[in-house]
Amino acid sequence: MTKPGIRRLAALAVAAALPAAAALAQASVEGTVRLPKALHAPVMNKRYGIVAYAGVLSPYPPLAVVYLEGSFAPPAAPQAAQMVQKDLSFLPSLLPVRAGTRVEFPNLDSTYHNIFSYSPAKRFDLGRYRSDERPIPSVVFDVVGLVTLRCDIHEHMRALILVLDTPHFVLSDTEGRYRLEGLPGGSYVLKAWVDSKTTLSRPVDLAAGPALHVDFP
Amino acid sequence: MMLVVSAVTAAGLVFAQRGAASAAKSGFQGEFQGMLAASHAVQDVRDAALAERCRALARRPRIHAALEDGAPDLLYPSARDEMVDVMEAGREPAAYSLHARYYRFLDPRGRVITPPGPEEAGALAQKDEARLSMASLPDSQQTGYLIRGEGDTETVDELVAMPIVSSDSGETISAIVVGFKTPWAGGGAGGIRRGTWLGGRLAFPSLGQPERSAILGAMERAVAVPGPAEGSFEVPAGGASYLLFYKLLNPGSVFPPAYEVSVYPLADLLARQRRLLWQFGGAGALLLVGAFLASSLVSGRLSGPVERLAEDSEENRVHWRRAEAALEMTSRELQRSARFSADASHQLKTPVTVIRAGLEELLAGDHLRPEAREEVSGLVHQTFRLASIIEDLLLLSRMDAGRLQIQFSGLDLAPLLAGLLDDLSAFPDSFGLRVEADIAPVLWITGEKRFVSLILQNLLENARKYNRAGGRIRIGSRAEGGWAVVTVGNTGAPIPPSSQEHIFERFHRGAVGENVPGHGIGLNLARELARLHGGSLHLSASGGDWTEFELRFRLEPVAAPDPSA
Repeated sequence: MTKPGIRRLAALAVAAALPAAAALAQASVEGTVRLPKALHAPVMNKRYGIVAYAGVLSPYPPLAVVYLEGSFAPPAAPQAAQMVQKDLSFLPSLLPVRAGTRVEFPNLDSTYHNIFSYSPAKRFDLGRYRSDERPIPSVVFDVVGLVTLRCDIHEHMRALILVLDTPHFVLSDTEGRYRLEGLPGGSYVLKAWVDSKTTLSRPVDLAAGPALHVDFP
Repeated sequence: MMLVVSAVTAAGLVFAQRGAASAAKSGFQGEFQGMLAASHAVQDVRDAALAERCRALARRPRIHAALEDGAPDLLYPSARDEMVDVMEAGREPAAYSLHARYYRFLDPRGRVITPPGPEEAGALAQKDEARLSMASLPDSQQTGYLIRGEGDTETVDELVAMPIVSSDSGETISAIVVGFKTPWAGGGAGGIRRGTWLGGRLAFPSLGQPERSAILGAMERAVAVPGPAEGSFEVPAGGASYLLFYKLLNPGSVFPPAYEVSVYPLADLLARQRRLLWQFGGAGALLLVGAFLASSLVSGRLSGPVERLAEDSEENRVHWRRAEAALEMTSRELQRSARFSADASHQLKTPVTVIRAGLEELLAGDHLRPEAREEVSGLVHQTFRLASIIEDLLLLSRMDAGRLQIQFSGLDLAPLLAGLLDDLSAFPDSFGLRVEADIAPVLWITGEKRFVSLILQNLLENARKYNRAGGRIRIGSRAEGGWAVVTVGNTGAPIPPSSQEHIFERFHRGAVGENVPGHGIGLNLARELARLHGGSLHLSASGGDWTEFELRFRLEPVAAPDPSA
């Protein structure tokens, strides 16, 4: 064979192998999480993102966070996310992030807000600030767990930040349907966070190809 | 004749002696009740202020965060600012005091959450702190007692447990138990000594050992029998005899029952009675001797026992003076408590005014968004509510102390009712109520205008609040046999028969929850004011879809002015 011939053959071989390698990282999972019925409507007639009842915090309307548990490479670049305060509520009210993410809290209202948290996973108090104050306060969430955010001035404002140890997570829709893509092949545990007291789990074996269908429970 | 005379005189003497003995006994009982009533009036004011404080505490987001987000160590630091004027550390609390010695929070299972530092929320030994735990969180205010310390440091605390209710879900998330010094610590007047019995332990500072164990035994026998919550009996102890009164302090509470025990040494009373008996016996013997002598000496012999009666009634007068002195002390204490509650209400009114002024200033500026304006207006409305609660409590405490004077004058009910009806139709209500009026054109009564207004406003407000959609309110007034009769009726759910006896009690709220505004003082106040006017207020009908109250006043005896003049 000629030299360029060998090179072309090598290139072809690599090109042939690439899809296979890429296919290894292309597993996906989809399904439906059965969400608990919202126990009762919040008492006050305001837009509640998170309701507390009998010591359990849950999103209103109910949502789930589905994530893949396993050991993954640490993130290449520092991650960032945002949770705004608008119209006297947090948006989004349930925010899943990877551990080590810096979350910013811009105030888009014309009143003061004072975000704080007493959760063991992260205790902080950003103090009072208005929308035009710079720099915009932010916090790095480095401990895995559930962090409850509240506003000291507006008692109905609540939000949850779910700090996870994986880059593969997604929020379900209000019907409970989810789809996770770009997952590596192998054996892992797929988990669904439903509320502050309930996390369902299923062991899964991932492989490239059509999406695996997993329903919870 | 002589037999009849001696029999009659002997009978008279026996009755007089018995009368003297029971008068002394009921005199002491009266003083005992009077002291309890005075301390209860003050406790009502204190409990109302504490209830408002706990409601404010429940609204703080940091308290919710500490209880719900797994941060019990931050609970007490977050609550400290809210509780600072209840605690007032560093100042020696007075006998009748709003100031607490300590407070503790309970977790959702009723167990005490220990504060992080020893001086955070008042010092309390660990075994005493454990006695504050409850089997489950209470859903209403509870009163209990705690005896702690030994010997010289023995002290009795009064515990008030208030539930902390979440304002968004309405569930009870925690409770706070506050410990106060009992207002009657120490001895009483007129030789009565007071202590507390709780769970087989007796806290009685001024009593020696033999008397203490005898009283302990007597109390255990008395409370072992389930029966009336108060009583009295004689107790022999240490060679002397004592008269003992006991009264259950916290009926219906989930805390263990505690009794107040008062003892009076019967030693000198019995000695006097024995001397009285001897003197009566001696008089009787002399009577018999005199009866055996000439019958013409009967009148002279009668004067003998009568003189002795005069001597013995001198003894009775001493007893009466003692009882009067005790009553005088009670009335002085009542006045002191009335002054205190007047001071307390002034102290409570000033911050309310300050808060209202600050909120109204906020509203006057233009920095607020519409939702915030609504919230702030709601808060201003709450300050008016709080101010009216304080006014009502002040009025009640003045009435309790007997210091409310009605200035009677002629008053025509017709224009008063017409004015209130106008106010009623101007009030925005969500029920769409129809108002019917059947008012006599002229109806003169004797009373004071502002108190009569208060009673009628209260009844009309209730008729509006407890109504149903599309219902009606009916007001009638007529003269009937020397009385002016005013009826206020409304449609809506009737009052259940089991509650009907209790609706006029203080702080009774019935089956309504927190959604109907009110504080349960209204009907109690209205009935007491009606009574002070020489009239009456009672529930005349409650069943099906109709509830009606009937209010009576005395008609003014003079004729109404001639309308043509």
